[in-house]
Amino acid sequence: MPELPDLNPVIHGKLRLAVLSLLAGVEQAEFTWLRAKTGSTDGNLGAQLLKLEEAGYVGVEKQFVLRKPQSVYRITEKGRRALAEYVQALKALLGSAINV
Amino acid sequence: MHEQMTNQDLTERLTLIEEMIAEGRRTTESWGWIFVLWGVAYYVAIIGSGAMKNPLVWPVTMISACILTVVVILAKRRDLPSTRIGHSIGSLWIAAGISMFLVFLALGTSGRIDQHIMVTVLGAMLGSTNAASALILKWRMQFACAAVWWACAVFACFGKGTQVTLAFLAAIFFCQIVFGVYAMLRESRRRRQHGVIHA
Repeated sequence: MPELPDLNPVIHGKLRLAVLSLLAGVEQAEFTWLRAKTGSTDGNLGAQLLKLEEAGYVGVEKQFVLRKPQSVYRITEKGRRALAEYVQALKALLGSAINV
Repeated sequence: MHEQMTNQDLTERLTLIEEMIAEGRRTTESWGWIFVLWGVAYYVAIIGSGAMKNPLVWPVTMISACILTVVVILAKRRDLPSTRIGHSIGSLWIAAGISMFLVFLALGTSGRIDQHIMVTVLGAMLGSTNAASALILKWRMQFACAAVWWACAVFACFGKGTQVTLAFLAAIFFCQIVFGVYAMLRESRRRRQHGVIHA
């Protein structure tokens, strides 16, 4: 029986997974847009984004637009690869469950 | 980790990924107002230049509309993500805008511009930009606008002065005002349909 793949614990958290998936569909996104789409709080979202940033899965750029501060996030190549591997692992697990 | 997860958990996570990626890709940008703004700007320039007989009315109106567009875009996009499609469409219009600015500035300062040349060049450029945008977005309605602009451009080469003016006014009305309002209604309907997806 083939060994079942492990799920990446950094991406596995539901909010982190949601954020990384959202960023996979856009070029870059502002903190407030991510918060609105996920329905999370500032503190929780900030903490999860920091974990993704520390893992090298997202990059952040602080900037000023019309004199207002903005944190703009984008998924990195490493993050995109990790998400793809996570999806493959999920599919493999589901496949093995169906085979059983 | 996967030992504790049920099939339902795994499926839920796959669904979440799909929904979130789709949500990000879904165009949340709104462009309809720009068509209306520029339609109104063309009307202001046409009426203003007719009433004041001042050659500066056109450039002043166009530059004002340009500044207003940039300011509103910067203010609106604060909370919106930047998508690849949005970036492509924006690039098309910026490139077309720069081309039109340079061509009309050169034609105006050289004194070689007249109503026929202006409508022909403007119609051709707006036709090709609308067509390129329509092909990227697979949007037939915008392609119809491109066809109207092309028809207007061709007509301007043959029509008489008043006829060309009427054709230009009609093209502005349908391709800027009507199309812009239609796009705004579509965007507002789309925004109502897709609210928050809680993770």
